[in-house]
Amino acid sequence: MEEQIQNLKNQALAQIISSETPEDLESLRVTYLGRNGHINKIVEKIPTLELQQRAAIGRMVNDVRVAVEEALRSQYIDLTTQQKTEWFDPTVPGIIPKIGHLHLITQAIEEISEIFQRIGFVRVRYPEVEWDWFAFEALNMPKNHPARDEWETFFVDTPSHLRYGQMVLTPHTSSGQPREMQRVKVPPIRMINIAKTYRRQFDQTHAPMFHQFEGLVIDKGINITHLKGTIDHFARQFYGPGAVSRIRPFHFRFTEPSFEVDFSCVHCMGKGCKFCKSGWHEVGGAGMVHPNVLRAGGIDPKKYTGFAFGWGVERTLLLKPGVNINDIRTLYGTDLRYLKQF
Amino acid sequence: MDILIPDNWLRDFLKTKATPEKIAKCLSLAGPSVEKIEKSESILVYLIEVTTNRIDSASVYGIAREAAAILPRFKIPAALQPVKVASSQKLAGTVDYLSVKVDPVLCKRFTAILIHDVKVGPSPKHIQERLSAVGIRPINNIVDISNYLMQELGQPTHTFDYDKIKGARMVLRASKPGEKITTLDGKTHELSGDDIVIEDGGGRLVDLAGIMGGGNSAIDPHTRNVLLFVQHYNPINIRRTSMRLSHRTQAAALFEKGLDPENIELTVRRGIDLFVELAGGKPAKTIFDIYPKAYKPKVISTRVGFIEERLGTKILKKDITRYLLALGFGVRTMGNAITVSVPSFRAEDINLPEDIVEEVARIYGYHNLPSALMMGALPEKLHNSPFDFEKRIKDLEKTLGAIEVYTSSLVSKELVSLQDVSPRALKLKNPLGKESEYLRSSLAPSLVQVAKRVGEKEPFHIFEIANVYLSPGKQSLPDEKMTLGGVFFNYSWREARGIVETILRNFSIQAEFEPENSMGFLLNHRLTINVGKDNIGEFGTLEGRGLVYYEFDVESLRTFAKLIPGYQPEPKYPPQIEDITLLLPSKIYIGPVIENIRKTNNIASVELVDNYQNTVTLRVTYQDSNKTMTDKEVQTIREKILQVLDKKFGINIKD
Repeated sequence: MEEQIQNLKNQALAQIISSETPEDLESLRVTYLGRNGHINKIVEKIPTLELQQRAAIGRMVNDVRVAVEEALRSQYIDLTTQQKTEWFDPTVPGIIPKIGHLHLITQAIEEISEIFQRIGFVRVRYPEVEWDWFAFEALNMPKNHPARDEWETFFVDTPSHLRYGQMVLTPHTSSGQPREMQRVKVPPIRMINIAKTYRRQFDQTHAPMFHQFEGLVIDKGINITHLKGTIDHFARQFYGPGAVSRIRPFHFRFTEPSFEVDFSCVHCMGKGCKFCKSGWHEVGGAGMVHPNVLRAGGIDPKKYTGFAFGWGVERTLLLKPGVNINDIRTLYGTDLRYLKQF
Repeated sequence: MDILIPDNWLRDFLKTKATPEKIAKCLSLAGPSVEKIEKSESILVYLIEVTTNRIDSASVYGIAREAAAILPRFKIPAALQPVKVASSQKLAGTVDYLSVKVDPVLCKRFTAILIHDVKVGPSPKHIQERLSAVGIRPINNIVDISNYLMQELGQPTHTFDYDKIKGARMVLRASKPGEKITTLDGKTHELSGDDIVIEDGGGRLVDLAGIMGGGNSAIDPHTRNVLLFVQHYNPINIRRTSMRLSHRTQAAALFEKGLDPENIELTVRRGIDLFVELAGGKPAKTIFDIYPKAYKPKVISTRVGFIEERLGTKILKKDITRYLLALGFGVRTMGNAITVSVPSFRAEDINLPEDIVEEVARIYGYHNLPSALMMGALPEKLHNSPFDFEKRIKDLEKTLGAIEVYTSSLVSKELVSLQDVSPRALKLKNPLGKESEYLRSSLAPSLVQVAKRVGEKEPFHIFEIANVYLSPGKQSLPDEKMTLGGVFFNYSWREARGIVETILRNFSIQAEFEPENSMGFLLNHRLTINVGKDNIGEFGTLEGRGLVYYEFDVESLRTFAKLIPGYQPEPKYPPQIEDITLLLPSKIYIGPVIENIRKTNNIASVELVDNYQNTVTLRVTYQDSNKTMTDKEVQTIREKILQVLDKKFGINIKD
């Protein structure tokens, strides 16, 4: 009996390997595995065997069944994928699958948040439609202060809040600073807030709606070198290992000292070229958090210090080599031919 | 604000051998930012951005003072040359040529001098050249002197034709609401009540202070006696007037930042010298000066250690002292304690030890500070953060062939939502125009607008994830609802729905689609998408161009999504699969039929293979997880299904 089964297996495998068409293969499947096939014939005999033999024979038959099934599958693949003899044109073009496209802004936001999350920053999001208090007053900009002019703010046509003042569209992600301080309460804070922001302006480099990312770090002993370290880190990660940053004096009401942040031009590596003129590109503001802002956020400026920075996603992105877009209106275009490029 | 400073003018006050390029570079690194150096005729001009807190440096002399403090730190010798004045007139609170009444809240310092026998004529060439270089058109020596003083010292001045001031008397007061003045550009302004004005002895308004002089007192070619006027005005009033009248002059821009009252004496004396030199004028013997509260230096105490902590580096006390002295501060030290007295021209800007840190740090040089990432504990990750999930949706959409677009949250009234503008839509008080007056409460109209602009015939699928804004109607911030919206063009209903179902399946969300009409959609072409009792989205064909639209509330998707669905062992026993072809009576929806079959015991899946007219072929998979089903068992289930279909829907199997 064992020998008979072994022979059956050898014979089946030999026939399968030498079969030449899928149709041959199907008839072999019926011959061996079909309801009335060779293997079932043996199975039918099992009850007639001596009791102690049955288990062993049963296992053996099952092994043969598995081996034959595998051989059939494998040969089927060989037969259907190898058409060795026919003439074949290997130069025929591929059929391109349809995949979609994510917007450049999405790609930039992803990259930016990754870079900061890897050094322990927590990504957050705060209201785009916000109270004046968070957008200005908590940031050391009292009502009617001329410094507010720079923000060209949109106001929402609703009654003012008794305590928080007018409803505005956030002109900067800095409104997330007091929000984050209120949320965390006790530092450390390492925030990265990326959001839509709005200003009353529209030209080649400004759209009324744009995106900013705001970093905020508060802890004991935070100083200017940490701000420099963080900005340098970002420059290298985003623009490449050769990129450097610099900070220059500036003024914001909510930081003291305040800085303007430049990144070395990626085209000339800081030597000066037709894109940058000076070797540097201005990207945005930064500074050490003003004690009044810490106080407004409920944090003791005697114990803690911090730094913050806020830059436009668009501006930061357009300076990246290879993007080759210099008009923000192109960036927000909805022509599919443009969108499909990225 | 941006200012223009000619290089040769700067060097009147700055003694240095540094090249203009070097000066520009050093200033930018440690002080005001030099945006570029331009050439105007033969003169090199710096374009400099002065920040609002540093209005003291918005002048030739102010920049010279900064440069003299900054250049030595770059190892370039530089010295500030003080403004030389010959005028030695006394200052006095009363004079014989003018009597005044001044509101001290509106005017901290009132200064004027009468200059006789002025000859109006052109200014000398070098004055004209310098003014032209900073973009000011030379007019005549009188006007040019005013402009020259403002550029050089940062203090605006005004000149009256003295003989036109009736009664040689002036009252400086707040305007009365409804009062009118015609300024020297011929425009008439109606005043609000908090403008600063000057009324003469004849009861006429002769000056809209800080903004523009009155036409009735202006210099003309026959003017002989000039009243030179140098004042400190309350910045808040100047700002209000200038904003309200949209009259944004350089003088107003300076006044509204709060100028240094101590700079007024220098300006008036320099002015007297220029009148003598350029217009042959004979100044009165006394300068009229009402200055009730002279500046008392503000004192700030700090420590070397505090400055070092904020800088993150060691710094010597003598260096701190040197930097501050060069900037015009007074410095006293005792051990590590530093007491700084603030000069009048920095009084508005310097209030805290942090402000002293800034001054020391920028002269030390930010570029000289080390750079290091912070140590210390890391904050905890945001609980239940939405960002990863939103990225998953976007990646999935990309896989499904969708193209992401960004459209503006600010839309016209027509594009707020598919419905009429609801009271829940938020409107802007000061929009840029009608086309961006509202915050949208649906993504649909914006996406449709994009789709309509595409010229292609090829099918496409666009999507966006963005907030929509719903006002709660009370005094609270709107609900910002993160929304996924998408539009299909030239996709069949089934193709489009398949994609939407794939989004749900990908997140293992068991949702039901229920027909329900709504505005903006073709009748009977809309489904709501629900999980249990919660509506999470919609799907349907829009009125108009037949675009298929879908929308999900992203937070609902996130709530119901199973990101790790849990492993289900593969079935041990083989399924039985068969195709059943049914005859549907007219107006029977196929969805509930399939649902009905699917809910029967031991049915693993039901797929629509084909539907043509009223004939529907379904592929039904029978599966028992405990055994291989016999033909008989399958037959029993099939018969039960057909019985139910007949009873419930009047459906029969096709023979």
